[in-house]
Amino acid sequence: MKMIHASILPTLALLVLSPQAALAHLVTSGLGPFYDGALHLAISPDDLLGLVAVTLLAGLCGARAGRLTVFSLSLSWFIAGLVGLNLPVTIDLPWLSILSFLVLGVLVAINPKMHPKVVASLAGLFGLIHGLFNGSALAAIGAGPLALTGIVVTVLVIALLISAFVVSLHAAWTRIAVRVAGSWVAAVGMLMFGWLVRGTG
Amino acid sequence: MRRYLVLMSAFFMLFLAGLSGIASAHESQPGLLEVRQLNTNRYEVIWRAPIYYGKPHPATLQLPEEWQIVGEPTARQLSDSALHRRVVEVPGGSINGSIIRLPGLEATITDVFVRISRLDGSETSQVVRPTLPFVELRGERPWYESSREYLLLGLHHILMGIDHLLFVLGLLIIVSGRSMLIKTITAFTVAHSITLAIATLGYATVPGPPLNAAIALSILFLGPEIVRVWRGQTSFTIRHPWVVAFGFGLLHGFGFASGLSTVGMPTSEIPLALLMFNIGVELGQLVFVVLILQLYRSLKVLEFRWPHWMEFAPGYTIGSLGAYWTIQRTLMMFAIN
Repeated sequence: MKMIHASILPTLALLVLSPQAALAHLVTSGLGPFYDGALHLAISPDDLLGLVAVTLLAGLCGARAGRLTVFSLSLSWFIAGLVGLNLPVTIDLPWLSILSFLVLGVLVAINPKMHPKVVASLAGLFGLIHGLFNGSALAAIGAGPLALTGIVVTVLVIALLISAFVVSLHAAWTRIAVRVAGSWVAAVGMLMFGWLVRGTG
Repeated sequence: MRRYLVLMSAFFMLFLAGLSGIASAHESQPGLLEVRQLNTNRYEVIWRAPIYYGKPHPATLQLPEEWQIVGEPTARQLSDSALHRRVVEVPGGSINGSIIRLPGLEATITDVFVRISRLDGSETSQVVRPTLPFVELRGERPWYESSREYLLLGLHHILMGIDHLLFVLGLLIIVSGRSMLIKTITAFTVAHSITLAIATLGYATVPGPPLNAAIALSILFLGPEIVRVWRGQTSFTIRHPWVVAFGFGLLHGFGFASGLSTVGMPTSEIPLALLMFNIGVELGQLVFVVLILQLYRSLKVLEFRWPHWMEFAPGYTIGSLGAYWTIQRTLMMFAIN
Protein backbone atom coordinates (compact mmCIF):
# COMPACT_ATOMS: atom_id res chain seq x y z
CA MET A 1 0.00 0.00 0.00
CA LYS A 2 2.77 2.36 0.97
CA MET A 3 4.51 1.58 -2.31
CA ILE A 4 1.40 2.46 -4.26
CA HIS A 5 1.15 5.74 -2.41
CA ALA A 6 4.79 6.38 -3.03
CA SER A 7 4.34 6.08 -6.77
CA ILE A 8 0.93 7.73 -7.16
CA LEU A 9 1.39 10.78 -4.99
CA PRO A 10 4.36 12.29 -6.85
CA THR A 11 2.57 11.68 -10.12
CA LEU A 12 -0.57 13.39 -8.87
CA ALA A 13 1.49 16.21 -7.45
CA LEU A 14 3.19 16.62 -10.79
CA LEU A 15 -0.15 16.72 -12.55
CA VAL A 16 -1.49 19.35 -10.18
CA LEU A 17 1.57 21.51 -9.91
CA SER A 18 2.69 21.58 -13.51
CA PRO A 19 -0.36 21.97 -15.66
CA GLN A 20 0.41 21.94 -19.34
CA ALA A 21 0.42 25.24 -21.13
CA ALA A 22 -3.05 25.99 -22.28
CA LEU A 23 -3.29 25.17 -25.94
CA ALA A 24 -6.25 27.43 -26.23
CA HIS A 25 -7.52 27.80 -29.73
CA LEU A 26 -10.98 28.75 -30.83
CA VAL A 27 -11.94 27.13 -34.09
CA THR A 28 -13.19 29.62 -36.65
CA SER A 29 -16.57 28.68 -38.03
CA GLY A 30 -16.75 31.68 -40.32
CA LEU A 31 -20.06 32.52 -38.71
CA GLY A 32 -18.88 34.78 -35.92
CA PRO A 33 -17.92 34.22 -32.27
CA PHE A 34 -21.26 32.73 -31.19
CA TYR A 35 -20.99 29.84 -33.62
CA ASP A 36 -17.22 29.63 -32.97
CA GLY A 37 -18.08 28.90 -29.34
CA ALA A 38 -20.68 26.30 -30.32
CA LEU A 39 -18.20 24.61 -32.62
CA HIS A 40 -15.52 24.70 -29.94
CA LEU A 41 -17.70 22.61 -27.65
CA ALA A 42 -18.61 20.20 -30.42
CA ILE A 43 -14.97 19.39 -31.09
CA SER A 44 -13.63 19.39 -27.51
CA PRO A 45 -13.73 15.70 -26.49
CA ASP A 46 -13.42 16.23 -22.74
CA ASP A 47 -16.19 18.84 -22.66
CA LEU A 48 -18.43 16.88 -24.98
CA LEU A 49 -17.93 13.43 -23.46
CA GLY A 50 -18.59 14.72 -19.94
CA LEU A 51 -21.66 16.57 -21.16
CA VAL A 52 -22.96 13.42 -22.82
CA ALA A 53 -22.22 11.33 -19.72
CA VAL A 54 -23.87 13.67 -17.24
CA THR A 55 -27.00 14.04 -19.37
CA LEU A 56 -27.19 10.27 -19.92
CA LEU A 57 -27.00 9.88 -16.15
CA ALA A 58 -29.72 12.49 -15.64
CA GLY A 59 -31.92 10.75 -18.21
CA LEU A 60 -31.47 7.41 -16.46
CA CYS A 61 -32.53 9.01 -13.17
CA GLY A 62 -35.81 10.34 -14.59
CA ALA A 63 -37.55 13.49 -15.80
CA ARG A 64 -36.99 15.51 -12.62
CA ALA A 65 -33.26 14.79 -12.66
CA GLY A 66 -33.23 15.79 -16.32
CA ARG A 67 -34.98 19.09 -15.63
CA LEU A 68 -32.73 19.99 -12.73
CA THR A 69 -29.62 18.97 -14.65
CA VAL A 70 -30.48 21.13 -17.66
CA PHE A 71 -30.70 24.15 -15.37
CA SER A 72 -27.78 23.45 -13.05
CA LEU A 73 -25.43 22.44 -15.84
CA SER A 74 -26.00 25.39 -18.14
CA LEU A 75 -26.24 27.93 -15.34
CA SER A 76 -23.05 26.78 -13.60
CA TRP A 77 -21.23 26.56 -16.94
CA PHE A 78 -22.22 30.13 -17.74
CA ILE A 79 -21.39 31.60 -14.33
CA ALA A 80 -18.04 29.78 -14.09
CA GLY A 81 -17.32 30.80 -17.69
CA LEU A 82 -17.88 34.45 -16.82
CA VAL A 83 -15.56 34.09 -13.83
CA GLY A 84 -12.98 32.39 -16.07
CA LEU A 85 -13.22 35.18 -18.62
CA ASN A 86 -12.15 37.63 -15.94
CA LEU A 87 -9.31 35.62 -14.49
CA PRO A 88 -5.80 36.97 -15.04
CA VAL A 89 -4.40 33.46 -15.57
CA THR A 90 -5.35 30.55 -17.75
CA ILE A 91 -6.52 27.50 -15.85
CA ASP A 92 -5.78 24.26 -17.63
CA LEU A 93 -5.83 21.06 -15.62
CA PRO A 94 -6.29 18.32 -18.21
CA TRP A 95 -6.26 15.58 -15.56
CA LEU A 96 -9.22 17.15 -13.79
CA SER A 97 -11.02 17.62 -17.04
CA ILE A 98 -10.54 13.97 -17.99
CA LEU A 99 -11.22 12.69 -14.50
CA SER A 100 -14.53 14.53 -14.39
CA PHE A 101 -15.94 12.77 -17.46
CA LEU A 102 -14.32 9.46 -16.52
CA VAL A 103 -16.17 9.44 -13.18
CA LEU A 104 -19.44 10.40 -14.88
CA GLY A 105 -18.95 7.64 -17.47
CA VAL A 106 -18.45 5.11 -14.66
CA LEU A 107 -21.61 6.35 -12.91
CA VAL A 108 -23.64 5.92 -16.11
CA ALA A 109 -22.24 2.41 -16.55
CA ILE A 110 -23.07 1.26 -13.02
CA ASN A 111 -26.33 3.24 -12.96
CA PRO A 112 -26.67 3.68 -9.17
CA LYS A 113 -29.93 4.93 -7.69
CA MET A 114 -29.35 8.62 -7.21
CA HIS A 115 -31.58 11.42 -5.99
CA PRO A 116 -32.32 13.98 -8.74
CA LYS A 117 -30.72 16.72 -6.64
CA VAL A 118 -27.50 14.72 -6.36
CA VAL A 119 -27.39 14.27 -10.14
CA ALA A 120 -28.05 17.97 -10.61
CA SER A 121 -25.28 18.81 -8.13
CA LEU A 122 -22.83 16.60 -10.02
CA ALA A 123 -23.89 18.29 -13.24
CA GLY A 124 -23.41 21.67 -11.60
CA LEU A 125 -19.94 20.72 -10.43
CA PHE A 126 -19.04 19.48 -13.90
CA GLY A 127 -20.40 22.73 -15.37
CA LEU A 128 -18.34 24.78 -12.91
CA ILE A 129 -15.10 22.97 -13.78
CA HIS A 130 -15.51 23.05 -17.53
CA GLY A 131 -17.06 26.52 -17.58
CA LEU A 132 -14.06 27.86 -15.67
CA PHE A 133 -11.63 26.16 -18.06
CA ASN A 134 -13.55 27.39 -21.10
CA GLY A 135 -13.82 30.93 -19.77
CA SER A 136 -10.13 31.27 -18.94
CA ALA A 137 -9.15 29.71 -22.28
CA LEU A 138 -11.43 32.13 -24.12
CA ALA A 139 -9.91 35.06 -22.22
CA ALA A 140 -6.42 33.89 -23.20
CA ILE A 141 -7.25 34.12 -26.90
CA GLY A 142 -9.19 37.34 -26.60
CA ALA A 143 -12.61 35.84 -27.21
CA GLY A 144 -15.47 37.42 -25.31
CA PRO A 145 -18.79 36.54 -23.71
CA LEU A 146 -20.39 35.90 -27.10
CA ALA A 147 -18.24 32.81 -27.65
CA LEU A 148 -19.05 31.68 -24.11
CA THR A 149 -22.74 32.17 -24.86
CA GLY A 150 -22.34 29.97 -27.92
CA ILE A 151 -20.84 27.27 -25.73
CA VAL A 152 -23.53 27.54 -23.06
CA VAL A 153 -26.45 27.54 -25.52
CA THR A 154 -24.97 24.40 -27.11
CA VAL A 155 -24.65 22.85 -23.65
CA LEU A 156 -28.30 23.70 -22.95
CA VAL A 157 -29.51 22.24 -26.25
CA ILE A 158 -27.46 19.04 -25.96
CA ALA A 159 -28.46 18.57 -22.32
CA LEU A 160 -32.14 18.97 -23.16
CA LEU A 161 -32.05 16.65 -26.16
CA ILE A 162 -30.01 13.85 -24.58
CA SER A 163 -31.66 13.75 -21.17
CA ALA A 164 -35.16 13.83 -22.73
CA PHE A 165 -34.16 11.12 -25.17
CA VAL A 166 -32.97 8.84 -22.38
CA VAL A 167 -36.06 9.56 -20.24
CA SER A 168 -38.24 8.52 -23.18
CA LEU A 169 -36.53 5.11 -23.42
CA HIS A 170 -38.60 2.38 -21.81
CA ALA A 171 -37.41 -0.94 -23.20
CA ALA A 172 -34.91 -2.61 -20.87
CA TRP A 173 -32.33 -3.16 -23.59
CA THR A 174 -32.30 0.55 -24.48
CA ARG A 175 -31.34 1.45 -20.95
CA ILE A 176 -28.60 -1.15 -21.10
CA ALA A 177 -27.42 0.46 -24.34
CA VAL A 178 -27.22 3.80 -22.49
CA ARG A 179 -25.13 2.18 -19.76
CA VAL A 180 -22.85 0.68 -22.41
CA ALA A 181 -22.43 4.17 -23.86
CA GLY A 182 -21.42 5.31 -20.37
CA SER A 183 -18.81 2.58 -20.16
CA TRP A 184 -17.37 3.76 -23.48
CA VAL A 185 -17.09 7.28 -22.10
CA ALA A 186 -15.29 5.86 -19.08
CA ALA A 187 -13.01 3.80 -21.31
CA VAL A 188 -12.07 6.85 -23.37
CA GLY A 189 -11.41 8.69 -20.13
CA MET A 190 -9.09 5.94 -18.88
CA LEU A 191 -7.27 5.90 -22.18
CA MET A 192 -6.80 9.67 -22.17
CA PHE A 193 -5.76 9.61 -18.54
CA GLY A 194 -3.19 6.94 -19.35
CA TRP A 195 -1.76 9.01 -22.18
CA LEU A 196 -1.67 12.05 -19.95
CA VAL A 197 0.18 10.26 -17.14
CA ARG A 198 2.59 8.69 -19.57
CA GLY A 199 3.26 11.98 -21.30
CA THR A 200 3.69 13.94 -18.10
CA GLY A 201 5.27 11.55 -15.70
CA MET B 1 -49.71 22.45 -23.34
CA ARG B 2 -48.19 22.99 -26.78
CA ARG B 3 -48.08 26.73 -26.50
CA TYR B 4 -45.96 27.04 -23.43
CA LEU B 5 -43.67 24.26 -24.41
CA VAL B 6 -42.82 26.05 -27.63
CA LEU B 7 -42.25 29.10 -25.48
CA MET B 8 -38.91 27.79 -24.32
CA SER B 9 -37.82 27.41 -27.93
CA ALA B 10 -38.76 31.00 -28.51
CA PHE B 11 -36.73 32.15 -25.54
CA PHE B 12 -33.82 30.08 -26.63
CA MET B 13 -33.95 31.66 -30.06
CA LEU B 14 -34.33 35.16 -28.70
CA PHE B 15 -31.49 34.60 -26.29
CA LEU B 16 -29.36 33.44 -29.17
CA ALA B 17 -30.50 36.26 -31.39
CA GLY B 18 -30.07 38.97 -28.82
CA LEU B 19 -26.48 38.01 -28.31
CA SER B 20 -25.62 37.57 -31.95
CA GLY B 21 -25.66 41.17 -33.02
CA ILE B 22 -29.27 40.79 -34.03
CA ALA B 23 -29.83 44.49 -34.29
CA SER B 24 -27.66 44.44 -37.36
CA ALA B 25 -29.19 41.40 -38.96
CA HIS B 26 -28.32 41.13 -42.63
CA GLU B 27 -25.16 43.15 -42.40
CA SER B 28 -23.14 40.21 -43.68
CA GLN B 29 -23.09 41.20 -47.33
CA PRO B 30 -20.52 39.29 -49.39
CA GLY B 31 -17.37 40.90 -50.76
CA LEU B 32 -16.31 40.69 -54.38
CA LEU B 33 -12.83 40.26 -55.81
CA GLU B 34 -12.51 40.51 -59.57
CA VAL B 35 -9.36 39.66 -61.49
CA ARG B 36 -9.64 40.63 -65.13
CA GLN B 37 -6.92 39.99 -67.71
CA LEU B 38 -6.18 43.13 -69.75
CA ASN B 39 -3.33 41.81 -71.91
CA THR B 40 -0.81 38.96 -71.80
CA ASN B 41 0.88 40.03 -68.54
CA ARG B 42 -1.45 42.65 -67.17
CA TYR B 43 -4.47 42.20 -64.93
CA GLU B 44 -6.95 44.52 -63.31
CA VAL B 45 -7.76 43.65 -59.70
CA ILE B 46 -10.93 45.09 -58.19
CA TRP B 47 -11.70 44.53 -54.51
CA ARG B 48 -15.18 45.51 -53.45
CA ALA B 49 -15.15 45.48 -49.65
CA PRO B 50 -18.63 45.66 -48.15
CA ILE B 51 -19.40 48.05 -45.32
CA TYR B 52 -19.13 45.92 -42.19
CA TYR B 53 -21.56 46.88 -39.43
CA GLY B 54 -21.41 50.48 -40.52
CA LYS B 55 -17.61 50.61 -40.64
CA PRO B 56 -14.92 49.99 -43.27
CA HIS B 57 -14.34 46.27 -43.73
CA PRO B 58 -11.40 44.97 -41.64
CA ALA B 59 -10.13 42.66 -44.39
CA THR B 60 -7.38 43.95 -46.64
CA LEU B 61 -6.08 42.66 -49.95
CA GLN B 62 -2.62 41.12 -50.07
CA LEU B 63 -1.49 40.29 -53.59
CA PRO B 64 1.34 37.85 -54.41
CA GLU B 65 4.76 39.46 -53.95
CA GLU B 66 5.83 38.83 -57.53
CA TRP B 67 2.92 40.84 -58.89
CA GLN B 68 4.02 44.40 -59.63
CA ILE B 69 1.55 47.19 -59.24
CA VAL B 70 1.35 49.44 -62.29
CA GLY B 71 0.24 53.03 -61.74
CA GLU B 72 -1.57 54.36 -58.75
CA PRO B 73 -4.20 52.19 -57.04
CA THR B 74 -7.55 53.93 -56.72
CA ALA B 75 -10.19 53.73 -54.02
CA ARG B 76 -13.78 54.87 -54.23
CA GLN B 77 -16.42 54.95 -51.53
CA LEU B 78 -19.85 53.69 -52.56
CA SER B 79 -23.02 53.66 -50.46
CA ASP B 80 -22.65 49.99 -49.51
CA SER B 81 -18.98 49.23 -50.13
CA ALA B 82 -15.48 50.53 -50.78
CA LEU B 83 -14.08 49.87 -54.23
CA HIS B 84 -10.30 49.37 -54.51
CA ARG B 85 -8.85 49.08 -58.01
CA ARG B 86 -5.32 48.39 -59.12
CA VAL B 87 -3.57 47.13 -62.24
CA VAL B 88 -0.78 44.58 -61.87
CA GLU B 89 1.93 43.13 -64.06
CA VAL B 90 2.27 39.36 -63.60
CA PRO B 91 5.66 37.89 -64.57
CA GLY B 92 5.10 35.05 -67.03
CA GLY B 93 1.48 36.10 -67.51
CA SER B 94 -0.12 33.16 -65.74
CA ILE B 95 -1.99 33.72 -62.51
CA ASN B 96 -2.81 30.04 -61.99
CA GLY B 97 -1.49 28.88 -58.63
CA SER B 98 -1.03 32.43 -57.35
CA ILE B 99 -2.39 33.05 -53.88
CA ILE B 100 -4.26 36.20 -52.91
CA ARG B 101 -4.68 36.67 -49.19
CA LEU B 102 -7.33 38.62 -47.33
CA PRO B 103 -5.88 39.22 -43.84
CA GLY B 104 -8.56 40.34 -41.42
CA LEU B 105 -11.28 38.29 -43.12
CA GLU B 106 -10.93 35.53 -40.52
CA ALA B 107 -12.27 37.84 -37.84
CA THR B 108 -15.45 38.51 -39.80
CA ILE B 109 -18.47 36.63 -41.14
CA THR B 110 -17.97 37.84 -44.71
CA ASP B 111 -17.76 35.51 -47.70
CA VAL B 112 -15.91 36.80 -50.74
CA PHE B 113 -16.75 35.90 -54.31
CA VAL B 114 -13.74 35.72 -56.58
CA ARG B 115 -14.32 36.18 -60.31
CA ILE B 116 -11.57 35.64 -62.86
CA SER B 117 -11.95 36.63 -66.51
CA ARG B 118 -9.26 35.83 -69.02
CA LEU B 119 -8.50 37.09 -72.53
CA ASP B 120 -9.52 33.76 -74.06
CA GLY B 121 -13.05 34.45 -72.84
CA SER B 122 -12.98 31.90 -70.05
CA GLU B 123 -14.51 32.90 -66.75
CA THR B 124 -14.26 31.15 -63.42
CA SER B 125 -15.47 31.90 -59.95
CA GLN B 126 -14.54 30.82 -56.44
CA VAL B 127 -15.71 31.59 -52.94
CA VAL B 128 -13.42 32.54 -50.06
CA ARG B 129 -14.76 31.90 -46.57
CA PRO B 130 -13.45 33.45 -43.34
CA THR B 131 -12.23 30.04 -42.17
CA LEU B 132 -9.57 30.07 -44.94
CA PRO B 133 -8.95 33.72 -45.75
CA PHE B 134 -7.06 33.24 -49.02
CA VAL B 135 -7.69 32.08 -52.54
CA GLU B 136 -5.50 30.07 -54.84
CA LEU B 137 -6.35 31.19 -58.35
CA ARG B 138 -7.19 28.31 -60.62
CA GLY B 139 -8.63 27.64 -64.03
CA GLU B 140 -11.62 25.44 -64.65
CA ARG B 141 -12.81 23.50 -61.63
CA PRO B 142 -14.93 20.39 -61.35
CA TRP B 143 -18.64 21.16 -60.86
CA TYR B 144 -18.77 19.48 -57.45
CA GLU B 145 -16.24 21.89 -55.99
CA SER B 146 -18.32 24.88 -57.01
CA SER B 147 -21.46 23.08 -55.81
CA ARG B 148 -19.99 22.55 -52.37
CA GLU B 149 -18.98 26.20 -52.11
CA TYR B 150 -22.45 27.48 -53.03
CA LEU B 151 -24.17 24.99 -50.76
CA LEU B 152 -22.07 26.13 -47.81
CA LEU B 153 -22.78 29.70 -48.75
CA GLY B 154 -26.54 29.08 -48.59
CA LEU B 155 -26.19 27.31 -45.27
CA HIS B 156 -24.05 30.14 -43.95
CA HIS B 157 -26.56 32.73 -45.10
CA ILE B 158 -29.54 31.15 -43.34
CA LEU B 159 -27.59 30.51 -40.13
CA MET B 160 -26.63 34.17 -39.99
CA GLY B 161 -30.07 35.35 -41.10
CA ILE B 162 -31.52 35.67 -37.63
CA ASP B 163 -34.53 37.57 -38.96
CA HIS B 164 -35.46 34.72 -41.32
CA LEU B 165 -35.09 32.18 -38.51
CA LEU B 166 -37.17 34.30 -36.17
CA PHE B 167 -39.92 34.48 -38.78
CA VAL B 168 -39.86 30.69 -39.16
CA LEU B 169 -39.98 30.33 -35.37
CA GLY B 170 -43.03 32.61 -35.25
CA LEU B 171 -44.73 30.43 -37.85
CA LEU B 172 -43.93 27.29 -35.84
CA ILE B 173 -45.60 28.80 -32.77
CA ILE B 174 -48.74 29.80 -34.68
CA VAL B 175 -49.20 26.57 -36.60
CA SER B 176 -50.99 23.66 -35.00
CA GLY B 177 -51.00 20.16 -36.43
CA ARG B 178 -48.46 18.29 -38.47
CA SER B 179 -50.13 18.69 -41.86
CA MET B 180 -50.54 22.45 -41.42
CA LEU B 181 -46.91 22.67 -40.33
CA ILE B 182 -45.74 20.89 -43.48
CA LYS B 183 -48.05 23.03 -45.62
CA THR B 184 -46.83 26.28 -44.05
CA ILE B 185 -43.13 25.49 -44.22
CA THR B 186 -43.54 24.27 -47.81
CA ALA B 187 -45.37 27.48 -48.74
CA PHE B 188 -42.56 29.57 -47.23
CA THR B 189 -39.94 27.48 -49.03
CA VAL B 190 -41.66 27.64 -52.42
CA ALA B 191 -42.24 31.38 -52.10
CA HIS B 192 -38.70 32.32 -51.16
CA SER B 193 -37.31 29.98 -53.82
CA ILE B 194 -39.35 31.79 -56.48
CA THR B 195 -38.13 35.25 -55.57
CA LEU B 196 -34.59 34.06 -54.93
CA ALA B 197 -34.54 32.72 -58.50
CA ILE B 198 -36.14 35.86 -59.92
CA ALA B 199 -33.62 38.11 -58.18
CA THR B 200 -30.59 35.94 -58.93
CA LEU B 201 -31.46 35.61 -62.60
CA GLY B 202 -31.80 39.37 -62.76
CA TYR B 203 -35.50 39.61 -63.65
CA ALA B 204 -36.28 41.81 -60.66
CA THR B 205 -34.46 43.56 -57.88
CA VAL B 206 -35.59 45.17 -54.67
CA PRO B 207 -33.39 47.81 -53.05
CA GLY B 208 -31.88 46.61 -49.78
CA PRO B 209 -33.11 49.21 -47.27
CA PRO B 210 -36.89 48.97 -47.99
CA LEU B 211 -36.58 45.20 -48.36
CA ASN B 212 -34.97 44.85 -44.94
CA ALA B 213 -37.62 47.11 -43.40
CA ALA B 214 -40.36 44.96 -44.98
CA ILE B 215 -38.75 41.75 -43.69
CA ALA B 216 -38.69 43.29 -40.21
CA LEU B 217 -42.37 44.16 -40.66
CA SER B 218 -43.14 40.50 -41.38
CA ILE B 219 -41.71 39.59 -37.96
CA LEU B 220 -43.63 42.40 -36.27
CA PHE B 221 -46.76 41.06 -37.95
CA LEU B 222 -46.36 37.66 -36.27
CA GLY B 223 -46.09 39.04 -32.71
CA PRO B 224 -49.81 39.92 -32.25
CA GLU B 225 -50.82 36.71 -34.02
CA ILE B 226 -48.88 34.64 -31.46
CA VAL B 227 -50.59 36.52 -28.63
CA ARG B 228 -53.97 35.84 -30.30
CA VAL B 229 -53.19 32.13 -30.42
CA TRP B 230 -52.55 32.08 -26.68
CA ARG B 231 -55.68 34.04 -25.94
CA GLY B 232 -57.63 31.42 -27.82
CA GLN B 233 -58.72 33.92 -30.47
CA THR B 234 -58.58 33.33 -34.18
CA SER B 235 -57.67 35.28 -37.30
CA PHE B 236 -57.02 34.73 -40.98
CA THR B 237 -53.32 34.11 -40.22
CA ILE B 238 -54.11 31.53 -37.55
CA ARG B 239 -56.60 29.74 -39.80
CA HIS B 240 -54.43 29.90 -42.93
CA PRO B 241 -50.81 30.40 -41.83
CA TRP B 242 -49.53 29.00 -45.12
CA VAL B 243 -50.98 32.00 -47.02
CA VAL B 244 -49.06 34.40 -44.80
CA ALA B 245 -45.97 32.20 -45.04
CA PHE B 246 -46.21 32.31 -48.82
CA GLY B 247 -46.79 36.05 -48.97
CA PHE B 248 -43.94 36.98 -46.67
CA GLY B 249 -41.81 34.18 -48.11
CA LEU B 250 -41.73 36.12 -51.37
CA LEU B 251 -40.12 39.01 -49.50
CA HIS B 252 -37.65 36.82 -47.65
CA GLY B 253 -36.52 35.30 -50.97
CA PHE B 254 -35.32 38.72 -52.11
CA GLY B 255 -33.44 38.93 -48.81
CA PHE B 256 -31.74 35.57 -49.44
CA ALA B 257 -30.66 36.83 -52.86
CA SER B 258 -28.49 39.46 -51.16
CA GLY B 259 -26.21 36.62 -50.08
CA LEU B 260 -25.58 35.40 -53.59
CA SER B 261 -23.82 37.90 -55.78
CA THR B 262 -23.92 36.90 -59.43
CA VAL B 263 -22.17 40.04 -60.63
CA GLY B 264 -19.59 38.93 -63.16
CA MET B 265 -20.43 35.26 -62.60
CA PRO B 266 -20.07 33.07 -65.69
CA THR B 267 -23.57 32.71 -67.16
CA SER B 268 -23.24 28.95 -67.33
CA GLU B 269 -22.57 28.80 -63.58
CA ILE B 270 -25.59 30.81 -62.44
CA PRO B 271 -28.13 27.90 -62.47
CA LEU B 272 -25.76 25.69 -60.46
CA ALA B 273 -25.01 28.51 -58.01
CA LEU B 274 -28.71 29.25 -57.60
CA LEU B 275 -29.65 25.62 -57.10
CA MET B 276 -26.93 24.82 -54.60
CA PHE B 277 -27.32 28.09 -52.69
CA ASN B 278 -31.04 27.40 -52.36
CA ILE B 279 -30.41 23.82 -51.25
CA GLY B 280 -28.02 25.19 -48.61
CA VAL B 281 -30.69 27.63 -47.40
CA GLU B 282 -33.33 24.87 -47.28
CA LEU B 283 -31.00 22.52 -45.43
CA GLY B 284 -30.28 25.19 -42.83
CA GLN B 285 -33.97 25.93 -42.47
CA LEU B 286 -34.79 22.24 -42.14
CA VAL B 287 -32.14 21.75 -39.48
CA PHE B 288 -33.57 24.72 -37.58
CA VAL B 289 -37.16 23.45 -37.79
CA VAL B 290 -36.15 19.94 -36.72
CA LEU B 291 -34.09 21.34 -33.84
CA ILE B 292 -36.99 23.46 -32.57
CA LEU B 293 -39.40 20.53 -32.85
CA GLN B 294 -36.97 18.28 -31.01
CA LEU B 295 -36.50 20.86 -28.27
CA TYR B 296 -40.27 21.12 -28.01
CA ARG B 297 -40.52 17.36 -27.64
CA SER B 298 -37.70 17.32 -25.07
CA LEU B 299 -39.39 19.96 -22.92
CA LYS B 300 -42.56 17.90 -23.03
CA VAL B 301 -40.76 14.69 -22.04
CA LEU B 302 -38.96 16.42 -19.16
CA GLU B 303 -42.31 17.88 -18.01
CA PHE B 304 -41.24 21.49 -17.78
CA ARG B 305 -43.81 23.86 -16.28
CA TRP B 306 -43.76 27.64 -16.68
CA PRO B 307 -45.48 30.50 -14.91
CA HIS B 308 -48.58 31.74 -16.75
CA TRP B 309 -47.15 35.18 -17.53
CA MET B 310 -44.29 33.64 -19.46
CA GLU B 311 -46.69 32.27 -22.04
CA PHE B 312 -47.16 35.73 -23.48
CA ALA B 313 -43.49 36.64 -23.52
CA PRO B 314 -42.52 35.16 -26.94
CA GLY B 315 -45.34 36.96 -28.74
CA TYR B 316 -44.42 40.26 -27.14
CA THR B 317 -40.70 39.69 -27.61
CA ILE B 318 -41.00 38.74 -31.28
CA GLY B 319 -43.35 41.68 -31.82
CA SER B 320 -41.01 44.08 -29.99
CA LEU B 321 -37.97 42.91 -31.93
CA GLY B 322 -39.92 43.19 -35.18
CA ALA B 323 -41.00 46.71 -34.22
CA TYR B 324 -37.45 47.68 -33.26
CA TRP B 325 -36.04 46.47 -36.54
CA THR B 326 -38.85 48.03 -38.54
CA ILE B 327 -38.23 51.43 -36.99
CA GLN B 328 -34.44 51.07 -37.18
CA ARG B 329 -34.45 49.99 -40.81
CA THR B 330 -37.02 52.59 -41.81
CA LEU B 331 -34.85 55.28 -40.28
CA MET B 332 -31.84 53.84 -42.09
CA MET B 333 -33.82 53.86 -45.32
CA PHE B 334 -34.24 57.61 -44.97
CA ALA B 335 -30.65 57.88 -43.69
CA ILE B 336 -31.73 59.23 -40.31
CA ASN B 337 -29.15 58.18 -37.74
